[in-house]
Amino acid sequence: MKYEYTVETEDLAKYYTMGPAIVKALDGIDLRVRRGEYLSVMGPSGSGKTTLFNMIGGLDRPTRGRVYIDEVDIAKLDAYELAWLRCRKIGYIFQTFNLIPVLTAIENVMLPMIFAGVPREERIKKATELLQRVGLGDRLYHKPGELSGGQQQRVAIARALANDPAIILADEPTANLDMKTGLEIIGVMRELNQEKGVTVITATHDLKMIDVSDRIVYLRDGKVERIETRREIAIETEEI
Amino acid sequence: MSAAPSLEIGKITLPFGEAFRIAMEDIRRRFIRMMITAASVILAVGFMDALLVLTAVGSAMGGQAASLKPFQLWILFISLLVCVVGIMNSMLIAVAERTREIGTWKCLGALDRHVLLLFLIEAMLIGLVGGIAGWFIGIITGLIYSFQPNVGIAGVTEALTSPSVIALPGLSFLPSIVSMLLLSLLIAISLSMIGTLYPAYRAAKLNPAEALRYEV
Repeated sequence: MKYEYTVETEDLAKYYTMGPAIVKALDGIDLRVRRGEYLSVMGPSGSGKTTLFNMIGGLDRPTRGRVYIDEVDIAKLDAYELAWLRCRKIGYIFQTFNLIPVLTAIENVMLPMIFAGVPREERIKKATELLQRVGLGDRLYHKPGELSGGQQQRVAIARALANDPAIILADEPTANLDMKTGLEIIGVMRELNQEKGVTVITATHDLKMIDVSDRIVYLRDGKVERIETRREIAIETEEI
Repeated sequence: MSAAPSLEIGKITLPFGEAFRIAMEDIRRRFIRMMITAASVILAVGFMDALLVLTAVGSAMGGQAASLKPFQLWILFISLLVCVVGIMNSMLIAVAERTREIGTWKCLGALDRHVLLLFLIEAMLIGLVGGIAGWFIGIITGLIYSFQPNVGIAGVTEALTSPSVIALPGLSFLPSIVSMLLLSLLIAISLSMIGTLYPAYRAAKLNPAEALRYEV
């Protein structure tokens, strides 16, 4: 255990100006995410989930406040360091899968490893292993257009894990999937979270996520409304 | 949060070979559109080569000076300009269409210059195809137009093999037809690169969060 907290935010805020109005997408978020934790961020659309995802992922700059990844303030990183952070420390999973359409499944998984400078043989070996792990051992050379939504999301999970990141950030990973496939994807993410000890942060309004999350953060209007740990939820359910 | 530890930043690379392969896949997937883009290069370069062949044949017959007239140069310049605008237009569309893909690239660790590299390799390939095809079509067209009964095969052959008409600096020993190929390639690749530079730069500079949010 190198650092206790993988992600920390301090008074994190992001304002957008839309004409004369200022939209407070995030307004003072203080959050600490422990290493290996499975955290779900819940809230209605427009509550700031995706903005939080972008801030923690180093994809956008906050208006105010700080984000620390493994105790490093990412506002202090330059473009090169930020690219390295995205490549090596963070794995992204999106609602729309976002695979590179011209590349096969295995090539998609190898792409982050190319950026990281992993030798070719090792890339192939690791990408194959990861795809087998998510249950796509027989789909290595299919292009995204030849795969179902659930299969594409599995490729995306394998790709997110390619460089052994510290954090997996998933933005509504099950929103474009049916109930059953969504459950399978959640299952895979939880298993890998426990197997590899990778911290998982998902923005979601999928209630199926509650069962697997260690903690749930409820956002409303850019603020943390409340935080529940799994024990509390279990008690609540008993009471009902 | 005192004395924050610094990250050990490693290298980020995209080897040219991998970038080239990916650019080839991109072209293959959008083959017809790429050929339409290449067509604007083919037309411009073909026009240039046809003019040059006409001049070469004319001068071999001893009728006229072995260089383009000012108004011909002017028309040529305009046609090359139109070609650049055409390429820029279709590359801007290609970039807009791939905005979210570029956002994804950046999430996986791509640097601005990697995005730029991918687009410029595509531009180079389009220029290469356009240059060769334009040269071929231009020469054929030029020969058809310059055909006269008094110009025999020998005259045409002389015009195209003598180095008199288009002498590239330092390469004046090359036969005209070879200089024309080199000139065509040079111009085609430059036009394609110039037309792509601005769209590719815009793509490379995109903020990943905005790029991912983008709806076509």
